[in-house]
Amino acid sequence: MKDLLRILIAPLIWFVAFSSIYGLHGLICGHGLQAIQIGSLSLPRPLLVAAYLLAIGVQMVVLGALYSAQFRSRSGFVRFVSRATGWTGLVATIWSLLPAATTSYCV
Amino acid sequence: MNTLERHRKLSAIWASERGLKGWFSTVNHTDLGRMFLVTAFFFFLVGGILAMLIRAQLATPHSAFAGPDIYNQIFTMHGTIMMFLFAIPTFEGLAVYLLPKLLGTRDLAFPRLTAYGYWCYVFGGTMLLVSMLFGIAPDGGWFMYPPLTGAIHSPGINTDFWLIGITFVEISAIAAAVEITVSILKFRAPGMSLDKMPIFAWYALVTALMILTGFPPLILGSVLLELERAFGLPFFQADLGGDSLLWQHLFWLFGHPEVYIIFLPAAGIISTILPVMCRTSLLGYGWIVAATLGLAFLSFGLWVHHMFTTGIPHMGLAFFSAASTLVAVPTSVQIFAWIGTIWKGRPELHLPMLHILGFFLTFVIGGLTGVMVAVVPFDWQAHDTAFITAHLHYVLFGGFVFPVFAGIYYWLPHFTGRKRFFRLGEVAFALIFIGFHITFLAMHWVGLLGQRRRISTYQPEDGWTMINLISSIGGFILAIGIAIVLVEIILHAMTANRGKRNPWKAGTLEWAMVTPPPAYNFASLPHVTSREPLADDPGLPARLARGDGYLADPPTEGSRRETLTVDISTGRPDYHVAYPGNSRLPIILAAVTGLFFLSLLLKTYWVTPLAVTGVAILGWLWVWSRGHKKDMPPQPIGRGIKLANSSTVDRSPGWWGSAFLLTADATFFGSLLFGFAFLWTVAPGWPPPALFEPSALEFATGLAGMGISAISIRRAIGANRVGDKPGAWLVMALAGTGLVAVICITLMLRAPAPPGHAYGATLLVLGGYGLFHAALATMMILFLMARVRGKFAMTACRAEFSVVKLWVDYAAVTGVLILMAAHLPGALG
Amino acid sequence: MSLTFLTLFTLGGCQGELSTLSPAGPAARDIATLWWGMLVGALLILSFVMLLILMAFRRPAKTADEAQQVRVWIVNLGLIFPVSILLALLVYGLVIGERLLPRSSAEVITVEAEASRWSWTFSYPDRPGLQTQDVLHIPAGRPVDIEITSTDVIHSFWVPRVAGKMDAVPGHVNVLRIEADRPGRYAGRSAEFSGSGYASFGFTLIAHDPTAWESFLAGETG
Repeated sequence: MKDLLRILIAPLIWFVAFSSIYGLHGLICGHGLQAIQIGSLSLPRPLLVAAYLLAIGVQMVVLGALYSAQFRSRSGFVRFVSRATGWTGLVATIWSLLPAATTSYCV
Repeated sequence: MNTLERHRKLSAIWASERGLKGWFSTVNHTDLGRMFLVTAFFFFLVGGILAMLIRAQLATPHSAFAGPDIYNQIFTMHGTIMMFLFAIPTFEGLAVYLLPKLLGTRDLAFPRLTAYGYWCYVFGGTMLLVSMLFGIAPDGGWFMYPPLTGAIHSPGINTDFWLIGITFVEISAIAAAVEITVSILKFRAPGMSLDKMPIFAWYALVTALMILTGFPPLILGSVLLELERAFGLPFFQADLGGDSLLWQHLFWLFGHPEVYIIFLPAAGIISTILPVMCRTSLLGYGWIVAATLGLAFLSFGLWVHHMFTTGIPHMGLAFFSAASTLVAVPTSVQIFAWIGTIWKGRPELHLPMLHILGFFLTFVIGGLTGVMVAVVPFDWQAHDTAFITAHLHYVLFGGFVFPVFAGIYYWLPHFTGRKRFFRLGEVAFALIFIGFHITFLAMHWVGLLGQRRRISTYQPEDGWTMINLISSIGGFILAIGIAIVLVEIILHAMTANRGKRNPWKAGTLEWAMVTPPPAYNFASLPHVTSREPLADDPGLPARLARGDGYLADPPTEGSRRETLTVDISTGRPDYHVAYPGNSRLPIILAAVTGLFFLSLLLKTYWVTPLAVTGVAILGWLWVWSRGHKKDMPPQPIGRGIKLANSSTVDRSPGWWGSAFLLTADATFFGSLLFGFAFLWTVAPGWPPPALFEPSALEFATGLAGMGISAISIRRAIGANRVGDKPGAWLVMALAGTGLVAVICITLMLRAPAPPGHAYGATLLVLGGYGLFHAALATMMILFLMARVRGKFAMTACRAEFSVVKLWVDYAAVTGVLILMAAHLPGALG
Repeated sequence: MSLTFLTLFTLGGCQGELSTLSPAGPAARDIATLWWGMLVGALLILSFVMLLILMAFRRPAKTADEAQQVRVWIVNLGLIFPVSILLALLVYGLVIGERLLPRSSAEVITVEAEASRWSWTFSYPDRPGLQTQDVLHIPAGRPVDIEITSTDVIHSFWVPRVAGKMDAVPGHVNVLRIEADRPGRYAGRSAEFSGSGYASFGFTLIAHDPTAWESFLAGETG
């Protein structure tokens, strides 16, 4: 059971992060939060970028844990697969949420 | 005991009843797998005939072949049948037939559930066929977008057939998924650790988990839409606080994973067959497992790419565009791992290999056009044109039908024990391959020239006439090819042309038995030490038949069907399992379940409670028959090992099955909460005119009920374990779930104007969900009380207690969330 | 086969009043260019993959070590190859997507489009009270934002030669930016299935030169 968790954790976190940031964007546009300004920046961009960086950070911690002596699996096969899915989670987070930092919001 | 005696004894224990009645009482996975596959192939032919009607209609402009009313039914049913009644059941059938054999065991985890799922599929499919015969089939397109499918614009019964019939069929998908997941995780031959599992099992495991998390959103959508149609709860009506986009989110949250649910089993077939065809082993087993898992997860982040034209802001689209391009990467890992496998070995052009080559060309084209439509601006043009129709057929025909044909020809000798006599298959392959590409290459083109999908006719001036004619001719070539496949399979089954064992010289365990397979699969279970046990030890089948493995000795008294489970990661033997025997309970339960759905369809609501009661009583009997009046001591499994029986452990198959069923249930619940939040943020007409009046008393009472039930069931388990009477604690738990039920009823009664606004309607559904689970938990606690009163050996056979705890906890946790969703918004302002 | 496919495309690609491949506006042209680029790329990739499969049948069998094969096939071809192509494509697609967004500017004209089964009603905020049925008038050479909604079921606004499509969803107003290069008539279609009248459900887009547009707004043509 713990081995299954090791394999599934990183993609699960990706899915949670992906849905949350998509939801955050929906919330910002749905409630007119894009109009709020902090200094010269409008509120949504820093908020979205912060969430994006947080998601990447969490994935890096998970990946680190999968390599650490403390948390890694005893089975060589599970070690390999969990690290591969760990990398998948990290890359998927960086890749699929990149628009949070780059494209325009609410249009 | 010699080989023949052992065969006779085991056959007597495991065989289905003789003759026709055996079909209705069998719980054997080999029989049910065959039945699934034959039924699914029947639906494939029906769907194929509908496809021919579509191509006949579109072959010429101004076609008078069918008017739009009939034509709309034809294309809706074509899509619906192919997706729900052909593709998914084919996976289920193949997995049901193959998995125990590949995993080196004797049956799936819950044999009666397999049968129940099959009969739900048959009855639900029949409902849809009947609607078609009467000309009242669903006609809103296979993705059934409201408001078109709402009661205002589709007042007829057509849409109800879809919503109710498909939900009925989905019971079989969920049942099979639970079954397959638990079987792969627990029901394997000793020694088969995760890394020694045959690759098909990995694919089937991932697919089953995806069904558990992918289907619930659609089931929820169907329930909500049917509630709207039947009782006027406005979930999808914009003027009453609903939103038609909610349906699209729920549908595609299912619909996109569905594509991979269809593709992954096919990929599993290729990963199994291709190395055999190339006389080598699969390149990069671990990579493929990781790629499959990655694919499964990413596929849940693509759903909005079906909604690029619905007006979602560009950043939202961009997330899904990015995820949609990324999903091509794990697919590409698999494609190149397969090509590498061909390079590694010496490929031989047998018939299954031809279909695999057909797969490569078709699927790669489908994948490339898939990447194109993942690019948002291009999709704005291609969306809802014939280009999309062509793309999805390249993916599904290439990614499913070709591999399945490869699989059919590969395992046909296993199904029947015969070999092919007439060489019709090669001709059939050529026709299918050529016909397919003519039909659908042309369709890409006509789509770019502006032909929308789902039009019943077009004008000569549109300039599409020649292309459509070519496409239709291709379609008929394809149909002839498939007809030849059918003829060949029938001839194959009729000619007694005995084949030899393991004709492909494969290394996996399904070939370590005589063919056609005996009802018990293996006379004794192997000890597995590698991924291809048969390649390492060609003498294995004979040794297993001689009784040289586990569980070699049939029980001396009675006719108990036995197998064993293993530890999930290491494959060490875990506990002993005794299966139920042949039973008509599954088909009867499926029929009563069908009565429930039929009463909803025909709006004879006085029947509904009767059917629900019937299902509850039969469900009770289903479990009751598995009780033990005597202690179950550890059972010998051979080689000097004794294992505890599954009824005496905490994590029994029933516990695992419940856990995965609850995973699906939790996804359903999560989708409902998502829908609530979605309507609140996106739908027009929010916030609602009146919020739910919060009540501290109700909130506290509900929480208390949940706490009492969760604590009491733990105390009851503790008391039972040490041999004390758990009765008093069970009564307390009952009081707790009763309180929860009452609070849920008050929530439903006090929900503000459910037909007037989607807010009240959603609260009504949330309350109903809580009530249902509280009632279920109540019934389970009553069941335990009946067991205790009936003097069953509950102290030793404690497995049922842990199962009930799981359901009580689930009712408590979801109950808290429901209370918060209802009371907090009003309390906060 | 792919060659014949390409020939067919180039033969039939530049005629037909509903063809996305004979663009008559900047949005449709950007997308058509994107398509031709992706088609060439896809054909190259497809040929490469098929060639690899064919070569596997023609070459004498020899044994290489598994780690080496994993590196070549899975890491280089399976991972690095698609990632580099997809990244480029994604960025290109997002840039075009950004360019096509309806950003506000003084140039822009707004038209409201309301779909109901099975007719389109267009109104013009520049001239309150003016409505047209199933014929949409716009000035040529200027960006126009169409504010799209529906009164009954979901429809979709689509003029294939001018721009991509945008759904008309009850309760929502979606904005699509279109622009026609030259004055003329362009065929429009509703591109979301809407029941029995769907096949023939369409409209006409008329792009006017500046003088004709002024006289249209003044109510002289209609």
